[in-house]
Amino acid sequence: MVAGFNWTFPLACLLVGVTAVLLCFGALVTTYDAAMAVPDWPATYGHNMFLFPFADWFYGPWDLFLEHGHRLLGATVGLITLALATLVWLREPNATVRGLVAAAVLLVVVQGALGGARVLLDDKTVAKVHACTGPLFFAVAVAIAALTGRGATAASASGGPALRVAVALLVAAYVQLVAGAQLRHLDAAVVTPVMFRWLVAIHLAGAAAVAGLSWAAVPLCRSQGSGAAGRWAVVIAALVACQLALGVGAWFVSWGVPSGLLPAAWMPNEPLAARSGRGAAVVTGHVVLGMLILGGSVALAMATGLFARHPARATA
Amino acid sequence: MTTMKIIPACRLLIAGLCVAAAVGCGKTPPAYFRPNMVEATKQRLTADQEKQVATILLAMFGTPDDPVCLPETGLDEAKLRLAAGPVRSDIVGRKNGLYREHCAHCHGVTGDALGPTAAFLNPYPRDYRPGVFKFKSTERADKPTHADLVRLLHNGVPGTSMPSFALLPAVQVEALVEYVKYLSMRGETELALMRAFFELDDDAQGKLPETREFLVDETLSPVAEKWRAAADAQIQVPPMPADIDMVASIAKGRELFYGDKANCVKCHGVTGLGDGQANDYDDWNKAIVEIGKELASGTTKAREASTAGMSPEELSEHRAQLAWLDKFGKVLDGDALEPRTIPPRNLRHGIYRGGRRPIDLYYRIHAGINGAPMPAAKGTVPPEDIWHIVNYIRSLPYGLDGELGADKPMLARDRF
Ligand code: HEC
Ligand code: HEC
Repeated sequence: MVAGFNWTFPLACLLVGVTAVLLCFGALVTTYDAAMAVPDWPATYGHNMFLFPFADWFYGPWDLFLEHGHRLLGATVGLITLALATLVWLREPNATVRGLVAAAVLLVVVQGALGGARVLLDDKTVAKVHACTGPLFFAVAVAIAALTGRGATAASASGGPALRVAVALLVAAYVQLVAGAQLRHLDAAVVTPVMFRWLVAIHLAGAAAVAGLSWAAVPLCRSQGSGAAGRWAVVIAALVACQLALGVGAWFVSWGVPSGLLPAAWMPNEPLAARSGRGAAVVTGHVVLGMLILGGSVALAMATGLFARHPARATA
Repeated sequence: MTTMKIIPACRLLIAGLCVAAAVGCGKTPPAYFRPNMVEATKQRLTADQEKQVATILLAMFGTPDDPVCLPETGLDEAKLRLAAGPVRSDIVGRKNGLYREHCAHCHGVTGDALGPTAAFLNPYPRDYRPGVFKFKSTERADKPTHADLVRLLHNGVPGTSMPSFALLPAVQVEALVEYVKYLSMRGETELALMRAFFELDDDAQGKLPETREFLVDETLSPVAEKWRAAADAQIQVPPMPADIDMVASIAKGRELFYGDKANCVKCHGVTGLGDGQANDYDDWNKAIVEIGKELASGTTKAREASTAGMSPEELSEHRAQLAWLDKFGKVLDGDALEPRTIPPRNLRHGIYRGGRRPIDLYYRIHAGINGAPMPAAKGTVPPEDIWHIVNYIRSLPYGLDGELGADKPMLARDRF
């Protein structure tokens, strides 16, 4: 190990990257209803998870591939988190980073346990909570990476309206993921059409809030924040625009074009295809992009001064 | 000092965990079949009577997680088990719970078309409980054949949100079809039981006889028999003459379309755009509309009635009627969706919900669409002439009314 080299940042970046892949797998597991493709936990069909025959997994049924892959990635993320925690514990003086890493360890343990409970109890409610904790962990991982990066110390704490909008965006992006998780883990035995209508209304209102905040953030961050804040704001605004399109697409591939919405001649004359790759890509992409927007808004919030060293405390 | 600084870092985390916890308050209860409350209320069943129906159905059909079927149903329990229950893979890695994976969010766990998404769909998903199906190869009032349902799942219903399940393995489609029949038989049996209270004599004391004769022979078997008979109820289609003169056939079809025997124009409009009589409902929605009307007039009458001159019995009857009206209103709010009209099809789109093969259109025109206002041409139009109408209908999307030559190329998608 090169003395003095800051390993925390690359490790944190690795954590963010692997977590993003993990989230993709998680979203696919929900899309393909694959959560119960492996009925036992923590073993996989009686095998130690890591010793489950590679060929059976890799060339096995698609839902088994997703679920077991999700577990392997989850374990990997857990191990990276622990390595990062060790490193931070030994080397990192910054209390915020230490706090965040502690939070990450706590979350990854809780998340793993929730994943196990989802399988052992075969319970959709647990699945929903599991789907809400995942992005939370991702947000924490992004925050750690942003704080340990080289730019972090340089970022000027702008605070003010830019920070407020960024934090509001962060909260709205998360609430949106929570609402989305409710829509995706529909338990037909529990959710009535009336409840579903409310969920959709909340999700649409949330979409409006996220869009409004992300677009309002652009001029604010460009004029007030650091250069990084301005760049993040633009990226997020663009992602949100894509996300709105994907959301509309997710509706169309799931439930078709509402009759009367489009001129009759534009209506597709092919039926919807359940389990089509394109449909799955749109729906899953919508979830994953939502998580990326959340991660981006964490970075934005930090670039506008969230967790910035308070001058008074820094000197104390 | 250190703890002070950890606080802001943890604040978001705690907030997030709170949201997560709020989302998941308590374990999901096991799935259950919802009773047909609209019918129960319509028949003015008492709570005990509702319970008796539920108990009988439980014995005959089991639960969504644990279906059973009597031999009289002719259903294959192994297939049902593959389709029923929560989504999970069994010990050999075979996926179970197919119905809840693929169908229940629209058609509902009970097959009552009250799945979560139903209110957003137009047309609404099918309620299987009355046992009425639209797109099939059998005579109007008959059930679809097994092959009809398999084809329906394969093709989906184009132009609606009912998707195609062509990407599922055949075994899974088989299991799903079996499960649709199961839900439909269960629903029809429930209706029959609820209606049977009305015919009880006084010494039955408001209870259905729990004998095999009544429950199986008189109630379940007739329902199952209709499904079994579907195979023999297939529409006999005369082959379309191979040497048919397409131009003449389309012209003939056009004449019939506008003529007063078939009178397709009445609904599908002079332009074929489906802009004729467009304010009608299909059977499922009509039932709700009619109940709504009855409730409205009943409520007005009950409210206007003066209680002044009523005897005590009349008064209690009056109160019971008010309570019933009130209850029915609430039941409708929870167990019925806002009624929607079913507009006649726009025939210039070339989107046919029941399939676009010429023979599908033949079936549609011959038998009409069961459950929908679309009438059967059978009886008014001779079988061979139905082919002329089919040819005319198939020419409409191309705007060539009557001019399409038989030599003209057809679009690829219409060539089978
Ligand atoms: C996205 C919602 C949706 C899903 C998912 C869905 N359906 Fe449907 N289904 C519909 C709608 C809407 C209709 C009504 C079409 C119409 O009336 O023209 C329908 C109609 C039907 C019909 C009646 C066809 C007829 O001839 O009357 C059957 C049977 C059926 N669906 C079975 C299934 C099965 C089995 C599944 C699961 C494998 C399924 N559906 C999944 C929306 C859905
Ligand atoms: C009383 C009104 C009425 C009349 C008369 C009528 N139709 Fe229809 N037709 C409808 C309605 C309503 C539908 C849509 C039903 C549905 O989707 O449930 C329909 C649907 C259709 C369809 C679409 C089938 C599909 O698979 O999508 C065709 C084709 C059709 N009608 C042809 C005809 C022809 C030919 C005639 C004359 C023989 C005719 N109709 C007479 C009301 C009518």
